[in-house]
Amino acid sequence: MQPNEFHKQLTPIRDRLAGLDRTADNRVFLPCEAAQVYEVCRFLFQDLGLRFVISTGIDAEDRFEVLHHFSDDASGCVVTVKAFVRDRQAPELDSLTPLIPGAEWTEREMHDLLGIRFRHHPNLQRLILADDWPEGVYPLRKDVQA
Amino acid sequence: MHTLQLWALKKSIWVFHVNTGACNNCDIEIVNLLTPKFDVERFGIKLVGSPRHADALLVTGGGTRQAAKRLQEVYRQTAKPCVVFCTGACACGMGIFEKGYHMAGPIDSLIRAVDPQAIIAYVPGCPPKPQAIIMGVVKALAALQPEREYATERVPQTAYADPG
Repeated sequence: MQPNEFHKQLTPIRDRLAGLDRTADNRVFLPCEAAQVYEVCRFLFQDLGLRFVISTGIDAEDRFEVLHHFSDDASGCVVTVKAFVRDRQAPELDSLTPLIPGAEWTEREMHDLLGIRFRHHPNLQRLILADDWPEGVYPLRKDVQA
Repeated sequence: MHTLQLWALKKSIWVFHVNTGACNNCDIEIVNLLTPKFDVERFGIKLVGSPRHADALLVTGGGTRQAAKRLQEVYRQTAKPCVVFCTGACACGMGIFEKGYHMAGPIDSLIRAVDPQAIIAYVPGCPPKPQAIIMGVVKALAALQPEREYATERVPQTAYADPG
């Protein structure tokens, strides 16, 4: 995917993004607010036909970041949608699972470890923490001491 | 240990393998033990499918919170005496996961919580070589019985775990 061509393809969602970082020819970051993430991912997945790879969650001290990684297999370009979840007390954003079933487990894992709630997730149960792990303790948050 | 118990234990050790949160590296070395290169079945050591058939538990992994109760339950189900082999750095002392939020181990304290008299052997390494695991079994059996009754001590030549 040529840089200019890709920038042109992004025009329909350009006003939903908070920026566009191209750190290398084959690496693109699309930062956006949590409210926009579903529509941006839907566009990449359905309209551009990118493949969903994985999601990651980060505790960035003053906010949470949820990164959805997509791959354009034809060019080898990896596009990452970086959603900022600014409400630390009740972090919440739209789930991708209704759109991409493969996102179910990675969202459940983020819910376990970081306590980010995914709206409209069909099955937001505990996935990897132990059965006797206390509710409301999220081990990968920065303020939790192991 | 009672003579009859030892006699029953040492001839052909049947092993039940328990993974308590290992990364699978130790487990692969254990499978390697059964391949023709090492072939522990020639010593009568055999992996079995149920702890009720086992003379020894081969435990890998550091003992996670979720696995701790299961490990203790598996140990309760084994016929005593049962030798517990802590295989790998994690099982011996939790290794790099010592300060992890999800750890309940190490294995020896989990087992001792159920049976303070448990026989526990340690095979360190990350992962331990198959030769080291065989050596661990040999050394543990040697430690359990009087030296004069221990067969390989009577063999005049030096024994190597790995003939190369």
